[in-house]
Amino acid sequence: MTSGLDSFVNHTVSIITSDGRNFIGTLKGFDQTINMILDESHERVYSTTTGVEQVMLGLHIIRGDNVAIIGLIDEDVDNRLNLSTIKAEPLNPVVH
Amino acid sequence: MLPLSLLRTAQNHPMLVELKNGETYNGHLVSCDNWMNINLREVICTSRDGDKFWRMPECYIRGSTIKYLRIPDEVIDMVKEETVTKNKQSRDQKGGRGGQNQRNRPAARGNFGGRANKPGGQQKLFQKNKPTKLA
Repeated sequence: MTSGLDSFVNHTVSIITSDGRNFIGTLKGFDQTINMILDESHERVYSTTTGVEQVMLGLHIIRGDNVAIIGLIDEDVDNRLNLSTIKAEPLNPVVH
Repeated sequence: MLPLSLLRTAQNHPMLVELKNGETYNGHLVSCDNWMNINLREVICTSRDGDKFWRMPECYIRGSTIKYLRIPDEVIDMVKEETVTKNKQSRDQKGGRGGQNQRNRPAARGNFGGRANKPGGQQKLFQKNKPTKLA
């Protein structure tokens, strides 16, 4: 059995966690429970008043329980974004 | 690379652990297990709002309560070396006792249709650990 995540390894991914946060980084590995290794990661904090704030974080292990969505980032498109002009409501945490 | 291999490599390094309830624990990783349960030394616990702090000489955190762990950047480079040497060992062992398939059977079950033949065989590392745990 191969997981669809194999093709994401060593690529830039965006992970949305169940507390509504958005982590961007290089996926270095994962396991059966979707625990993730994110290298050179940063968090994007969205707000309706100022542009997107990027918080540098570094090397992370994110526990699979909290992972809601993993998306592959197109780096060309991402580099063209002007984050300071993007305003958005922050996501709410998942309600269990 | 498996997240738990990275965590194992991070032993004796400082780290930040955020729990699902928002509390954070800063300390040195003493030990961890396959369930991500961890032992920390010289811990500073910070409340969810970051307004209260507690110092404790050590603590034990149940893996299932963890949201994420922040680990020093250099630790990921140390894992790579370890993985390479372990893969070599498991390959050598396979060649050395070719006829002992019985003993390897629990491990073989986990090779996901032969994916372990891939060069980057983290699976092998995993398999190798399995019998050790059983024994």
